[in-house]
Amino acid sequence: MSTPHVVVIGSGLAGLTAAHRLMAGGARVTLVTKGLGGLQLSQGTIDVLGYAPGRVERPLESLASLPAEHPYRTIGAEAVATALGYLTDVVVDDLLAGEAAQNVWLPTAVGAVRPTALAQPSMLGGQCVRGARFVIVGPKQLKDFHPALIAGNLARTDLPDGGRLDARPASFDLPGRDHEVDSSGLTYARALDDPAFRARFAAAVKPLVEPGESVGLPGILGLKDRNAWRALQDLIGHPIFEIPLPPPSVPGMRLNETLTNGLKAARARFILGSKVVGFAADGDVLRSVTLGEAGRQVVIAADAFVLAAGGFESGALDMDSYGVVTDTIFGLPLVGLDAPLIHGDYWGAAQPVFAAGVAVDSSMRVLDGDRVVYANLRAAGGVLAGAQRWQELSGDGIAAASAVIAADSILGGRA
Amino acid sequence: MNDFAHLAVTRASLDNCVKCTICETQCPVMAVTSKFPGPKYIGPQAERFRNGESVDHSLDYCSGCGICTLSCPQGVQIAELNAQARAVMKEDHMPLRDQLVSRTTVMGALMTPVAPLANGALRIKPLRKIVQAIVGIHEDAPMPVANGRTFEAWFNKRPKRTTPAPRGALVFFHGCAGEYFEVETSIKSVEVLEHIGYEVLVPKQGCCGLAQQSNGLFDTATKAVLKLCDELTSAGKDLTIISSSGSCTGMLKHEAHEIMGVDDSRLKDVGTRIRDISEFLLELHDQGELPEDFQRIEQVVPYHAPCQLKSQGMGLPVIPLLELIPGLTVVESGANCCGIAGTYGLKKEKYEIAQAVGKPLFDMVKATNEGLAVCDTETCRWQIRKGTGVQVEHPVWLIHKAYGLS
Repeated sequence: MSTPHVVVIGSGLAGLTAAHRLMAGGARVTLVTKGLGGLQLSQGTIDVLGYAPGRVERPLESLASLPAEHPYRTIGAEAVATALGYLTDVVVDDLLAGEAAQNVWLPTAVGAVRPTALAQPSMLGGQCVRGARFVIVGPKQLKDFHPALIAGNLARTDLPDGGRLDARPASFDLPGRDHEVDSSGLTYARALDDPAFRARFAAAVKPLVEPGESVGLPGILGLKDRNAWRALQDLIGHPIFEIPLPPPSVPGMRLNETLTNGLKAARARFILGSKVVGFAADGDVLRSVTLGEAGRQVVIAADAFVLAAGGFESGALDMDSYGVVTDTIFGLPLVGLDAPLIHGDYWGAAQPVFAAGVAVDSSMRVLDGDRVVYANLRAAGGVLAGAQRWQELSGDGIAAASAVIAADSILGGRA
Repeated sequence: MNDFAHLAVTRASLDNCVKCTICETQCPVMAVTSKFPGPKYIGPQAERFRNGESVDHSLDYCSGCGICTLSCPQGVQIAELNAQARAVMKEDHMPLRDQLVSRTTVMGALMTPVAPLANGALRIKPLRKIVQAIVGIHEDAPMPVANGRTFEAWFNKRPKRTTPAPRGALVFFHGCAGEYFEVETSIKSVEVLEHIGYEVLVPKQGCCGLAQQSNGLFDTATKAVLKLCDELTSAGKDLTIISSSGSCTGMLKHEAHEIMGVDDSRLKDVGTRIRDISEFLLELHDQGELPEDFQRIEQVVPYHAPCQLKSQGMGLPVIPLLELIPGLTVVESGANCCGIAGTYGLKKEKYEIAQAVGKPLFDMVKATNEGLAVCDTETCRWQIRKGTGVQVEHPVWLIHKAYGLS
C-alpha cells in the first residue's frame, strides 16, 4: 500500500497519538471525533502504572506481574517505552519530561502523593521526597485550590521513600480578572500569559516564601506561553512547581492543544462534532464509516481504521437498563462481561464493568475468540478490556502504547 | 408562540452533561467577560431551574456561536438549549432593535437603490450616535456596504451562457448578504461552478431567517425558512444546492430543525441537498473529479473558519481545498469565533465583548496576512475587515483567481 488512508475515531490520547504516528509514517489521516477528547481533562502527565495494587516505583518492570487479561500483557514493556519516547519527541516545546521506567511522586490538588511517569517540567520541582520543604501558595479568588488542605495532607503523609516532607500553606489576594471572586484556573492561566499580570502575581507570592522553600503553585501558570512558569520562577526567585487542578485542567489543555495543533499543522483532516453512525464491511474487511454530519450522512472510505473512541466515559461503550453492554460504534464482541458487572459496595473493590471492552491481538486487531473480526480495524486506548485504569493509573500508558502499535502495524503493511 | 422552545425538547440532552468543563474552555465569550458565567451554567445547569421563566438573564450574553455544542464530547445541545431559553425569555418584551437587525432582506432592499447614500449615512458619526441611543446598535459596529447592484440583477442581465455544462445543473443559494452586499462572492461562486462544467440555476429566493432565529423570533424565522425551501426547490427537485453563505447553509442543514423544531419534509429535503461551496468542491477533489489546473498563487493567507461553519461538523474543507493551489499557504486562525456571531456584536451592550472576542483573531490576521485574509461568512468578514483593515474575502475568490477567472 503506497499512501494508506486511515480513519481514526476519537481524539483522546490514543486517537491523537495514533494519528500523529500514522501521519509521520506517511499515511493520510482523517480523524473523526464527536467532541473534544478527554485528554484536556487529565492532569497533563502520562501515567504508566501507579498501583499494582501497591505503589509501583518502576512501572515497566511491574507490567509482567499483571493478570494475563490485562492490556499491558499484550502490549509489553518495550512498546510502552517506545510510545512514551515517541510522545516526548512529538510533544514539542519541552512539554513532557521523565521516563517510562521510573515513576516520580507528585502532589495532587488534595495533597495526596501521586505516582506518574512523564510530567510537565513545571511540575517536577514538586517531587515528594524526604526532607523537601514546600510552601503551598495560591490566590484566594481561585476555585479548587486549597493550600491548607494540600500542605496539611502532604506534611502528614509517609512518603514512598519512608520519609516526610515539610509543607505549610499561604495565600494572597489577586483576582484573575475584574473583581471576580471565584475564577477558574483557566482564567488565571490566560492572565498569566501576560507578562504584566505575571509580575503582579510574582510580587504577591515572593514575600510569602522563606529561604530554602520550594513554592507549590496551582497548575495555572500560563496556557499558550510555555515558558510563563520559568519567567515566573525567575521573578519569584525560588524554585516553583505546579500542582494540577481538577478540570478545567490547564496542563491537560496544554497537552491536548499541542497534540491537536500538531496534527492540524501536518494536515490531518480533523472532523470535530460529528459522530460515527454506521459502517460498511465486506466479510472481514471494513470499507467505510458513516459520519452523521449536520443535515446528512457522509461515507468515509479508508484502507484502515483505528477505534480510539474510549470506553463508557465517552459513550463508546454503553450499558442499557437491562445491563447489556455494547460497543456503540461497530458492535464488536466484548469481553469481561461475566456477571455481576456492578456490585453495591461503593467503597469496595473496583467495579468489574470498567474492565469490560474488546480483546485484541498483538497488533491491536479486535478478536472474537481467536478470530480477527476485521483485518483492517485496530483498537487503542480506553476500549481495550482488562484494566481498572483509574485505580491502577494505567490509562495513559495503555492508550499511547496501543496507539503506537496500531499505527505501526498499519504502516507495516498489515492493514 | 415558540411552542417548541417552551417544550424545550433538547432539554432531554442535558442529563448527558458530566460537568467536564470542556465547553467552558472553548467558550469565546466566557474567556473575555465575567458577565457570562459560561455554557455549562447557562445551558444544562440553569435549564433545570427554568420553568417557562428564566432565573438568570445573563443567558442573553450567550452569543449563540455553538462552539460549546460542537466541542461537547457527551452530545449535550448546549447552544440549542440557550437559543430556546432565550426565545422564551424575550418573547414578551422583544426589543425593537432585535426585530430590526434581523430583517436582513429589508435592510438590503432599502440600501441597494441608494447605495452611496446609505453607505455615506452609515459613516456619519453623529447619526450613528443617535442610532445607538435610540435603537441600541453600537456606533462603531461593523456595517455592510451596499453594492448598488444586486446579484440577481447581474445574473439576469449578463449575456446568455454559451459554454457547455456537461456536469448538469446545480441550484445556487445566495443568501441575503450574497444578494445585496457580498455580491462579488456570489458572482465568483457562480463563475467557478460554471467554469468546471455546471449549469447554475438561481431561482428567486428570500431570507433563511437565521438572524431572526438567533434573536428569538422563531415564528417569523420558521415562515422564512420554509418559504426559502419552496423557492430553492422550484428550480428542480433533486438538484444539489450550493451556497457560499456559510451560516445560512447551517440554518438549512440543521439549525432550523434543531433550534426551532421545524419538522417539515421540505426542510428535510433541502437540508440534505445543500452543500457549502468549499465542501462541495473538496468532495469533487476527493472523488477525483475536480479540475485542478490551478495557476500558481504565491501567497500566505490567514483563514478564519466561522463558528457556524464549524458547527456543521464537516471539518474545515477550505484548507485542503485552497492548498490544491500551488504556492498558496493557508494559516488557520485557531480562533473559535470572531465575536460578531450574526447580530450579537452589533448590539451596544455587547459590542465591547465582541471586539474582545475578536482581538486574538484580529492580531493573528494582521500578523500573517499578505494583503488578503479569507473567511466563509459575511458578517464575520465585516467584523474582521473592521477589526484589521485587511481585505477579507470568501475563499472562493482564490479558487476563482487560480482558475484564471480573475
